[in-house]
Amino acid sequence: MNNFYNLVKKEMKELITWQMILSLVFMVVMFGIMGRFIGGMEEEQKKPVEAAVLNLDKTSISDNFIKNMAQQGNVQMNTIDESTTERALEEAKQREEKILLVVPGGFGKNIEEKRAAELETYSIVKGLSLAGIRGGSLLEIINTMNRQMALNFIQEIAPDKEAKDVMNPIKTREFVVVGDKTVPGNPVMLWSVVISQSIMIPVILMMAIMYSGMMVITSMGMEKENKTLETLLTLPVKRTSIVVGKMVGAAIVALIMTGVYMIGFGYYISSITSGVGEAATATVKELGLVMSSASYLLLGTSFFLAILTALSLSMLLGLFAQDTKSAQTMNLPIVLLVMFPFFVLMFKDVENLPLALKVILYLIPFSHPTIAAKTLIFHNYLPVIGGVAYMALFAVAAIYICARIFNTDKILTARFSFRRVKKRV
Amino acid sequence: MDKAIEVKNLIKDYGNFRAIKGISFQAGKGEIFGLIGPNGAGKTTALRVISTLLQVTLGSIKIFGYDVTREADKVRECISYLPEEAGAYKNLSGKDYLEFMAGFYSKNSEEKKNIVEKGVKIASLDKRIKDKVSTYSKGMTRRLLLARALMINPRLAILDEPTSGLDVINSQQIRRLIKSFAKNGTTVLLSSHNMLEVEFLCDRISLIDKGLILETGSPKELKDKYQVQNIEEVFMEAVK
Repeated sequence: MNNFYNLVKKEMKELITWQMILSLVFMVVMFGIMGRFIGGMEEEQKKPVEAAVLNLDKTSISDNFIKNMAQQGNVQMNTIDESTTERALEEAKQREEKILLVVPGGFGKNIEEKRAAELETYSIVKGLSLAGIRGGSLLEIINTMNRQMALNFIQEIAPDKEAKDVMNPIKTREFVVVGDKTVPGNPVMLWSVVISQSIMIPVILMMAIMYSGMMVITSMGMEKENKTLETLLTLPVKRTSIVVGKMVGAAIVALIMTGVYMIGFGYYISSITSGVGEAATATVKELGLVMSSASYLLLGTSFFLAILTALSLSMLLGLFAQDTKSAQTMNLPIVLLVMFPFFVLMFKDVENLPLALKVILYLIPFSHPTIAAKTLIFHNYLPVIGGVAYMALFAVAAIYICARIFNTDKILTARFSFRRVKKRV
Repeated sequence: MDKAIEVKNLIKDYGNFRAIKGISFQAGKGEIFGLIGPNGAGKTTALRVISTLLQVTLGSIKIFGYDVTREADKVRECISYLPEEAGAYKNLSGKDYLEFMAGFYSKNSEEKKNIVEKGVKIASLDKRIKDKVSTYSKGMTRRLLLARALMINPRLAILDEPTSGLDVINSQQIRRLIKSFAKNGTTVLLSSHNMLEVEFLCDRISLIDKGLILETGSPKELKDKYQVQNIEEVFMEAVK
């Protein structure tokens, strides 16, 4: 145990360098800045729209219309007193207004005669950023005004009818059914809540696997580059302890890195998904689409085994590394094996995939935690337990092969050369 | 003679290439035994097999009675191996490195402290022992590695080109150190292509070339046999 602790401590000391800490801090700061920036943009969107208004109609109807519009809330009307649209545009530009609303002559008359009256909006674009284009908000207000005026007209024409019913003769009531539970709600809204729950887990997993794989391969590469492996292998310590010690040391460092990374990423995600409503969350809870403590335990086990599998696979690949540079290339197959299920399962459910793709996904150990995160929400335990058993077998087999190789000459003589592969091809 | 090392008909193949073609030699406890030969003769391979790093293809090796194939763990408890091109962990300080290594040979913190103190003394790097290994010169790293190999008072020290990369003064210090350890009971098996070093250090030597042992004996015996002045000339006569 003492030897094992000694090995783990050394691994961590070797892997945690100032360069590594600095790059991690940089990444977290970047996420923080991005989160603040996006949050700031949303705040900007919530601010009232400022619009310049030119009223060429000058009737009491158009005056009232502009007054009512300003009372709708999220808009501030700045009147421009000019005789033509062109001059008003010049004035608006000088005032650095972003939108000019022009009420043309005849507007009031058309409204009075129950004919469609035109309004003109000019968006003064200086940049193509989201914050720079605010015309959409003004149109929303105009739409509200349109609806309100239509309701008034209907009430005038048919005073004995309910204006709202005439305007919308068909009403819909939406329900979502999960298992034996039926709850009022919208499936799109539901999806947005569930996805925000299940997307974080694969992202955390992807980062943890990539970091831990990289750490363990780098560790092997460093042993070979620094020519320390030979000495290590002649120490009075079991080869299995060396293998597991390296894996545990790398896993601890990788988990620290993932944790720090996730703090930054979590902040960033929370700043872009803060719009998910409380009603939607309540619907999800009512439908029972919330993980139980048993589900969390299973998910944790699945997560842990995926990292263990990644570590053991990386260790196997690391045996062929000559130095840290080649070690980083060796990490590529692991990254691809992690990315493939991540992207496929992000858009599709495993059950809806063609058989061949489904088999491939089930064979890749790193698919299972992502599958688990989705199926456990629906309390479907069997595929998760199967996945856990498969990953456990996979990891044990890979660790066994590693330990076997550590006991042979291959640990010192194993080489992998891309040049040799090319020649063979 | 109490046998520390007993190598019998050792053969080592790398795939189709036979690096060692059946060598036998013995070394007694407290003896300094040298494997002498040119580059590519099979010295390093022999030392790696004896150190349990490589597997025996044919033949047998016993270290203090333990078989290197069947009782590798027991053998590793008796030996300390210094490879020719060894390095140390670059992100650790010299002292951290010695502490890490001492951890495998000590039962408690007091014992570990004593081992490290001895290592620091052997390395004689003064204040630089607290600096990172990545800042050391080749000679400083070699001294640190030799300190690591000897600080644990191994029963058998296997040293592959122990003075490789060291200047004359450092080499002399190291040779004296090896001699003093042997006097205190440590058996030393070393390889070298520096014939003068071998003559100064070794009680007995084996001349090895192309995977075969040509001669074994004390430097004096071999010089007398070939009627020459030094081991270099013995080697030249033996390979004729």
